[in-house]
Order: sequence, then structure tokens, then C-alpha cells
Amino acid sequence: MTTATLSRWNRFRESFLWYSFKRDKVAIASFIVLLLMVFAAVFAPLFAPTNPYDLAQIDIMNSELPPVGMSGADPAFPLGTDAQGRDMLSTILYGTRVSLLIGFGAVVLQAALGILFGLLAGYMGGKVDSILMRIADVQLSFSTLMVAIIVGAVFKASFGNLMFGEIAIYMLIFIIGVAEWPQIARTVRASVLAEKKKEYVDAAKVMGFRTNRIMFRHILPNTLSPIFVIATVQIANAIISEAALSFLGLGMPETQPSLGSLIKSGFDYIQSGSWWITLIPGLVLVVLVLVINLLGDWLRDVMNPRLYKG
Amino acid sequence: MLAFLVQRISQAVLVMFVISVIAFAIQDGLGDPLQEMVGMSVSMEEREALREELGLNDSMVVQYLRFAGKAIQGDLGNSYFYGKPTLTVIAEHLPATLELVIGASLIIMLLSVPIGVYAAIRPQAWLAKFFMGVSTVGISIPVFLTAIVLIQIYSIGITVEWFPADTGWGQWLNGALSTDGGMPSYGRGDDLTHLFGTWNSGFFSELGLMHLVLPCVSLASIMLPLFIRLIRAEMMEVLQSDYIRYARAKGLSSARINFLHALKNTMLPVITVGGVQVGVMVAYTILTETVFQWPGVGLMFLEAITRSDIPLIVAYLMVVGLIFVITNTLVDLVYGLVNPTVKLTGKKA
Amino acid sequence: MKNDTPLLEVKNLDVRFAVRGGDLTALRGISFSLDKGERLGLVGESGAGKSVAAFSILNLIARPGYIAGGQILLEGKDLAAMSERELRKIRGNRIAMIFQDPMMTLNPVLTIGTQMVEAIKAHRRISTKAARDIALDKLRKVQIPSPEKRLDQYPHELSGGMRQRVIIAIALLLDPEIIVADEPTTALDVTIQAEIMALLLDLCEQENVALMLITHDLGVVSQVTQRMLVMYSGRIIEQGPTREIINDAQHPYTQGLINALPQMGEPGARLFQIPGSMPSLKNVPTGCPFHPRCDFATDQCRQAMPDYVRSGNVDVACYEVSNLIEQEKRMQEAGS
Repeated sequence: MTTATLSRWNRFRESFLWYSFKRDKVAIASFIVLLLMVFAAVFAPLFAPTNPYDLAQIDIMNSELPPVGMSGADPAFPLGTDAQGRDMLSTILYGTRVSLLIGFGAVVLQAALGILFGLLAGYMGGKVDSILMRIADVQLSFSTLMVAIIVGAVFKASFGNLMFGEIAIYMLIFIIGVAEWPQIARTVRASVLAEKKKEYVDAAKVMGFRTNRIMFRHILPNTLSPIFVIATVQIANAIISEAALSFLGLGMPETQPSLGSLIKSGFDYIQSGSWWITLIPGLVLVVLVLVINLLGDWLRDVMNPRLYKG
Repeated sequence: MLAFLVQRISQAVLVMFVISVIAFAIQDGLGDPLQEMVGMSVSMEEREALREELGLNDSMVVQYLRFAGKAIQGDLGNSYFYGKPTLTVIAEHLPATLELVIGASLIIMLLSVPIGVYAAIRPQAWLAKFFMGVSTVGISIPVFLTAIVLIQIYSIGITVEWFPADTGWGQWLNGALSTDGGMPSYGRGDDLTHLFGTWNSGFFSELGLMHLVLPCVSLASIMLPLFIRLIRAEMMEVLQSDYIRYARAKGLSSARINFLHALKNTMLPVITVGGVQVGVMVAYTILTETVFQWPGVGLMFLEAITRSDIPLIVAYLMVVGLIFVITNTLVDLVYGLVNPTVKLTGKKA
Repeated sequence: MKNDTPLLEVKNLDVRFAVRGGDLTALRGISFSLDKGERLGLVGESGAGKSVAAFSILNLIARPGYIAGGQILLEGKDLAAMSERELRKIRGNRIAMIFQDPMMTLNPVLTIGTQMVEAIKAHRRISTKAARDIALDKLRKVQIPSPEKRLDQYPHELSGGMRQRVIIAIALLLDPEIIVADEPTTALDVTIQAEIMALLLDLCEQENVALMLITHDLGVVSQVTQRMLVMYSGRIIEQGPTREIINDAQHPYTQGLINALPQMGEPGARLFQIPGSMPSLKNVPTGCPFHPRCDFATDQCRQAMPDYVRSGNVDVACYEVSNLIEQEKRMQEAGS
């Protein structure tokens, strides 16, 4: 470690963020669970007993085996198998990976869009502002899920099922990212408006800095903490949106399942008593979303930023 | 009042215009009316003549204006699948969705206000903390998962055999944790009451109501935590205000302070957010209806997507857009009427 | 009622705020009394604890504040020990309050009429019609133009001055014995301040209501009140007849306050300023809290809080003053 990173680490350890984290049991527990889940998902190929993408490893004779602890279980499949005979543990590990990837990807995209449009709207004001915010209002009043469903439906209709399945990950990142940008844009705009009034912006202007330099080098760093808080919660929302789209058949195909498509494929068998195919990935999804939300709540309380209200 | 109305309505018209452009773009980009009408066996010349006749060679603007003109007259084309005007198809499916939304809204209103107010007045009580904890978990459960769990518990039933069945307590625990199931979880049931037009209601028979329970609870489950958190937060802010302290200084009872002075100020922002959420709920009906095979517009829309029934998709977008716009405008109006500090007249405040 | 018991007597009142890392003391050992129809001024800089003192009388301190000790006796009955239910019968009825900012005091979504009628009906079993008549009568007393119309208006339809008139009318609704007014004119336009103050004074005299006036304006105190208290950092440092204190302030802080008044200096001359600022509740200095800003401060002042001494009719908490009095006494003894 270099001295620079060392001193940064020391500064972090003395910060209020670290102090309040140490005192908050819920935040610590959530963080540990999230870390474990991310770790298990990223290294899924190492942990998973089988590769659910590899058709050669699947035996249809093993289909719908219950999890260990129930009669008829096979210890080779600790969480049972799905209707195609895939090991549930492996599909869930790979599924969590897909869900997390889409969640993070979508938030990166919406943060990029939201920051760009939010800065533009807040800094330019006038017509640019009112047009961008009008679009954001309309999109939000339609609800981001609705927008995502519509865009997803249009894409699916225009690309066809097969083609859509192949590029589904990128499509979902795009759809959710585009559907959710107004959240971050409004927050950025609100904090830009507050920052704009402050003296250092005037000073930068007087010193003759160009507009985009002032926006990105001077204003943006001061709006980061609300963006950070919103982005955390938005990852949870993006994961839920992905699951919803996949559940509706507008998302990941069954051959390359996310948690949402696992729940969907399991739902067809719930009436026959195979509850684990749908409820175990469901539980994983809820835990994942819950710990992110709890961390988001904690961050909001600690950073206490001016969030856009309403 | 008039100026306010004109402003709101012109805004609504603008939004509808944008929606219609999007809908038109989808129809134009995805649908090929010729394919539907004539199939493969027609020669190029004939196709071209037909294109000309249908106006498909006109400029985009002319084509949009034709589309919009027809839409205003209530003509959004025929559904490929149903072979009927799309608006007729939607009218047949809309009552089922509306009953779902009404049922869920009732559950939300009846529960969120008392729980939110209670949690704001007694933030330290364990019951309030319990409610807030459940709300946080509730927000993290996707609506379709709630629906699936409800089906497992109340429709299919669960049998618990974790505890030793040969002991009294084990048997009791097993029994207490197991459920019989039996609640309907598919469609609306056969016992619907005809109200008017295409509206057949499930609210007037036991069977119909039974079918409504699980879907409505599922749909309510996603909004309820949001509303409880919102009402609690607003109410706590109001309770901090000077006029509440002043009301106490006047010697008013705490019931009057909490339920008149504070609640009335709390509900104003809640009305605005709530109105928007009714629109959001329409998106969730798609998920709920899919799980319960509820024959409403959400399920219809999803089926239209899998069937590539472009006119029906476009018509759904237009109708849902109209519902959003109308609810949002109505909410603004109601807010203006309820909140005395918003002036509906042109006079200065 | 015996004549020698005062209407309101506050004895050794302590108010604390329960915050993380221990309690903060907002008021320490506050004692004063108020007679029937008397007008008492409570003066000090912002943060001295004036408002806390005002609100604690009706036990209306906002959480996490609480009364930690002492008594608040209304004709011998201790308000500090009363249940919420008993207190409610006194609030607005025997002791009424006027808040600082009329813009924030009235509930924005209820009509003036509703807010007046409910105050009467909380204490009297009478019809709404009769309550409205009382409200109308009081609105006339505060000289609001077209009072009938006001009853059906919402607060935002009235100007700030009018709203404060309404609030004075509400204070008078139940013919209270005491009105506690917390900076009743600070939030108003300067031109209206004097008008409202004169109205309040008139009505208190007419109805023989005791007035406890909280203000930072020494000018107002000298015109309106008969007795005054000067507060600093949660303590009363000087109290007595207003005339005596204004003419011959004993405590160095009070002297500073009076010297800081514009009319005391020559035109064009620089105004006097007390150096430094009042300590926050979190780090109140030991001893006399004023010592870091006081020209006469000695080691004695830094160590312990001085007790009250009487000079004329004025009670002062200051070592310098008590030393002077001692000296005078000794000189008198030596002379006689």
C-alpha cells in the first residue's frame, strides 16, 4: 500500500461514516450478508456444483427433486432440482450473478444519464431545464416499471424471441437504466440548484473556467453524497425491476436464468407441490434486495442529504 | 378556478400528445398492416396499390394526423387476435382490472392511515417499530413473489412436519403452522353480477369476493409499506410544527390535535403522492394479473405482446396513458380543493 | 384567596434537554413571581433560555426537554407536578400563550373561526353559536376590520399583523388570568410592532390580565412592564422593578445591554457592544457564566456561581455588586 492510500484509509477510519457504521448492528449485518452474496455470485463457477449453462451436465431424470431434509431428496442436490433437472444451488448462484450484474449495470447507466441530464437541467436552467424535467415528470408518473415493461415489450416484438434472448442482459441494463434515470436526475438537479447559489461557483466563473469544467470539476463532487444514497436504493429497485420483467417473460431466458426467471419457471410447478423451485430463489431475491435497502436506509440517515422529495 | 383548469387540461393534452406520438411510432415501426390483410400471395403491384390506397405512402405527419384523428373518434384499429375493435376488447377487460385496483386501494387506505398515524404518534412503541420493520421488509418483496407465497399458503396449503408428531406440543405446532389452502387463486370465479355495459362485478357474491381476496392483498402489499412510511414521515414532521404546539397551548385534547390539526396537514401531501401511486398501481396489475390469471387488461396486454398483437398493444398504451393523465389531473384538482392555501382562482393569494 | 400569595410563583425551576451524551441544562434555578394584573418582562439575548422559560410554565417544552426540578405554582397548585389532563384545563383557559411567529402559529388548513371556537369549546360546554359570538366579540376587541368575514377565512388570507391580532383575540377568548407572550412582535414589520404592542398593553390593562412578556427589546420592556428579569445562559442574573433596573442597572451584563441601546449613545457615535457571545448550552463556563465577557471578572467569578444579593429593590447575582454593597455597608458602619 502506498502512503496516499494509507492516509486515505486512516481518514476513512476517523470519519463519521465509519463511526456510525460500527455502532449500527443492522448495517453491519446487512453489509456482511451483501458481501457474502456478491462474493458467492462473482465466484459462482468455483462454488457451484454444476454448470447450469452446460446441457451435458443435466439429467432430466433428476427433475423436481426436493431439497435436503425432505423425503426423496438427493444429497448431491442440497437445494433440490428444477423441472429440467438442474441443480437449484448452481442455478441460484449463477442467477444471483446475472441479477447483480444487471442491477449494477442498470444503475451505472442511469447514474450516467441522470448525472448528465441533472447537471444540464440544474446548471442551464430555463428551457433545457423545463423540457428535461417535464420528460422526467411524465416518465415518473407513468412509473418506471411501466416504462420498462413497454420498452421491453417493444424490443421483444422487434427483435424476436431468440435474438432477444441472446442479448437480453444488455437489453435489460438498457431498459432499466433508461426507465429509471429521472430519479437520479431530479436529485442531482436539486443539489446543483443548491450548490449553484454558493460562492465557489461564482468564483470559478469569475476565474474564467469553462461551463463543463465548472459542472464536472466543481459542482459534481459536491452532489455526490445524495447520488450515492439514491444509487444504493436504485440497485435494489433495478434488481426488482429485472425480476419483474423476467417474471413477465420480457427478461432473461430460462437457459440463462436470473433470479426472476428462476421464480417464473418455478411458478409453473408450484401447483404440483414443487415449491422450492420458485420459493428458494424468491427468498434469495428478497434477502438480496432487503440488505441493499437496509444499507440504503442507513446511508440516508448518516449522510442526511437533500433528497428530492415527492 | 378557470385559469387553473385551463392550465391543468392543456398540460394533460400535451402529455397525451406525446403518448400518442410514441404509440404511433410503435405501430408504424412494428406493425405491417398489409401482411395482416393480404398475406403472402399478392403481387408487388397490388401491394403497392394497396399501400397507396391505405395511405401508407403519405408523409409521416399526414399518417400521424390520420392516426390521431381516428383515435379521438375512438377508433384505434382492430385487434389481430380477437378480430374486434381494440377498444371493445379493452372495455371487456377493464372492469376486472378496476375491481382489482379498487379492492387493493381499499385495503391500503384502511390500513395505511391508522398504522402510519400510530407509528408517528408513538414512534418508540414496540408495535410501531414492528410495523416499520415489516414495512421495510415489505418494500423489498416483489409483488409477484408475495402473490406466489400467498398462493402457496392459502391456496395450495402447507404441511409442516418439523416437530415430533408423537408429542402433544409437536403435534400442536405442526398443526398451527400448517394451512389447508383452498382459497381460489385462478381467475374471477363464475358468480359475477352484471352491473352495466361490460362491467361484471365480483363484489356482490361470496365466490366473487373470495376470488378477489388474494389478488387484492398481493397488489396492496407493494403499496402499503410505501404509504405507511410516507404517512408516518409526514405526520412526524407536522407534529414538530409550531401550530401543533400552539394547539396544545390552547388546551385542546390530544385526540383533536392528532386527528384534526395534524392529520389534515399530513394528508395533503399524501393525496398528491397517493394519486400518482394509483397510476403506478396499474403497472403492478400486469404482474398480479399474470400470477392469478386475472382476466384484466394487464394480462390482456401481456398476451398481446406474446401474440404480437400490435394494435392491441398500442390501444392499451393509449388507454393506460389516458388513465394516468386523468388521475393525475384529478389529483391536482382535488388537492387544490382540499388545500385552502392553493388558490384555484386567478386572484392573488 | 389570600393577598400575600402571588398569582404565579416559579421556584427553583430546572429544565434539561436529554441528548446523547448526557443532559444539557437549559434553565437553572429560575425563581420569580407574578401578581394579579402585573406585567413582567423577561429579557435576554437569543439562547438565554427565555422561550424555554415561557414554554415550561405550561409544561410545553418540546422533547427532548423536560422539567428536572422546581415548582411552578399557580395559586399554590404545582403545574410541574400536574397530569397532562389537569394541565389541559389550565392551558388556554387560565394561562394563555402568544407565540412568536403568527405565520406559523395558526393551522393553515383550518379557518380562523374553527380555531377560535375549538379553543372555547375545549373549556366550556356551550353551543357553537355562542362560541362564535364570543369569538366575534374578541375579534372586535382587537380591532380587526369586518370580524364576521374573518371567522370564515383561512390564516393565509390575512396579513401578519392581522394574524397576530387574531392570536391575541384567541388568548383573550376565555378571560385568562395570565398571558405569556413570547416575542409577540419580533416577526412583524417594524411599523406594525408598536401598534400590536400597544394593543396588547391596552387589553391587559382593561381586562386586568397579568402579562409575562418575553423579549430581547429593552425599549419595549421599559414601556410596558412593571418588573423585569434579565436572563443569561439559563439563569436569572438580575430581577426587580423595571424603572430601577433601566435607570441603574447593577449587573455588568445588564449595564452592557442598556449601553448597547442606540438612544444611549450620541448620534453618529459607534454603538456599544458587549464583547464575545453567549456560550452555547454544550460548554457553559464554570462559575458565573458571564465571566469570559465581563470586565470585572475575578478568580472568584470563575469558580462559583454567585448568590443573589439585594440592592435597593433589585436582586442581582454578581460578586462585583455584592462586594460593592459590602464595602458600602462597612463604610456606613465606620461612619456611624
